[in-house]
Formats: sequence, structure tokens, C-alpha cells
Amino acid sequence: MAGELESSKSLSGLLSGLAQSTFHGHPGITEELLRSQLYPEVPPEEFRPFLEKMRGLLKSIASADMDFNQLEAFLTAQTKKQGGITADQAAVISKFWKNHKTKIKESLINQSRWENSLKAMNWRVDLKSQSKHLDLINAPVAIVELELGKSGQESECLCLEFDEVKLNQILKKLTEVENSISTLTNPA
Amino acid sequence: MATGCQGFLGLTMEGLCQPPQEAKSEVTNQLLDLQWKMGMAVSSDSCRSLKSPYVAVTLKVADQSGQITNKSFEMTIPQFQYFFKQFKEMAAVMETV
Repeated sequence: MAGELESSKSLSGLLSGLAQSTFHGHPGITEELLRSQLYPEVPPEEFRPFLEKMRGLLKSIASADMDFNQLEAFLTAQTKKQGGITADQAAVISKFWKNHKTKIKESLINQSRWENSLKAMNWRVDLKSQSKHLDLINAPVAIVELELGKSGQESECLCLEFDEVKLNQILKKLTEVENSISTLTNPA
Repeated sequence: MATGCQGFLGLTMEGLCQPPQEAKSEVTNQLLDLQWKMGMAVSSDSCRSLKSPYVAVTLKVADQSGQITNKSFEMTIPQFQYFFKQFKEMAAVMETV
């Protein structure tokens, strides 16, 4: 049994399952499912603390968004701790984090966004061939469809129309945003 | 209705028989203003080290009846860059037509 808890392959699967349920919002991945699929020989009372230990480690690593040096230091400390983890387990966790760091971070960022987000955007440029207003004939218009919504909820569609003047005004504003981003990401 | 369209083409173009382009534009809205804010999500309950920049946008929009509403949404930096790129492409197309 102890041997089974040492298995790298099972641990790798367990970490994936934990990430799915803890970070990516898949509630269907239960303790019993993980045990029966990955550690069928381990009794539930022995599996539970093991699962909670791994969940705790994963949460700590994700919460601190550890880089690889921090992770190495953290895992080394865990291997030396009473009731900690083995060096092999540390290696599996390290490998797992390298492969899943970006996705997990993305999920955590999405979870902390409560405003609407931009889910999709479509546009089309039309040339008005007929209009009530003669001066609009042959003037191009851009029609933009924005799909806005909160994650897990139905989204709404916003349809906007721009003539050239309006579009240039928007571009000017968006250029300001871009400049602001550059200042933030590359401070002089 | 059909004879009316044939008989008074000039008039019906303006009033009775709306061409499809106009009908379509009834569901589109006019953008009056775009306000933006750039922020940084620093830390949250699930991630102490969130450090995630975002761009929040509020669009002030008027529908066909003149009613004004505000629509807000947030974008990550890559999403904003995509959003911006789409507008640049639109502007490029509009210059050529």
C-alpha cells in the first residue's frame, strides 16, 4: 500500500484531478473517484489525509504563483518536514507545476474577475448603397458585435456601428490604453 | 403596398419600403463615448500573488430610440491587444473601400 502511494504515475494523475476540481471548477472529480481510479488498493482512511496533503501543497504553490527557484526551495523543505513528502513525490509535483502553472494561473485570474469579460468579437465593413440620408451613401460603416458576459453565465450581444470618424476616435483612445500598458510593463 | 413601391419609388425608398441595410442598422447602436481604466489585480483569496493587469472599458451607447446605457467589461492584456488589433484592421479596410 505504501508502495502505491509512492507511484509517480498515480500521483501525476492525482495532481491533474486535484487541479481540475480545485482550480478549473470541475466538481465531479470527487475523492472517491480519484481513489478508485488511481489508488484502488489504498483504504479511504489512508487516502484522505494523503489527498488533503497534496491539495494543500498544490494550493500553496498556486497561491504564491511560485517560480521554479521558490518551488525547489518549498519542495525541499517539504521533503525534510515530519510527515512531508518523498523526493520522488517532490519531483512529480515539480514536473506537474512546470506543465500546468500557466493554465492554473489563468483559471485563478478568471475566478477573481467578476465584471463582464469580452467573450467574442466579430466585425464587418459595409458600404451603404441606399439610405434615407443622401450624404451617407457610399460611406463605409463598420459593424461590430461584442459578446459580453460573466463566466458560466449567458452572455449578451452588443452591436455597434462606426463611421470612419468614430472609428478613428476609438483608435485614438485605444492607443492611449496601449501606451499606458507599455508604461506599466516596461517602466523606464 | 407593392403597387405603391412601383408607383412612388422615390418616396417609398425613404419611407415605406425600408431597404435591408437600414433594417439591419436598427439593431445596431451608436457609441457615444469610451472610458477606460487600467488596473492591476494584486491578490485574491485563492491567489495571494495574482499580479494580473487588466483593462476595464465602459461603453456609453445610444440605441435607436436614443436611450443611453453603459456597458462595462474587462479584458486581460492579450485580450485588449486582440481587441485593438481588430479595430486597426477595420480602419484599414475602411480606408480601402
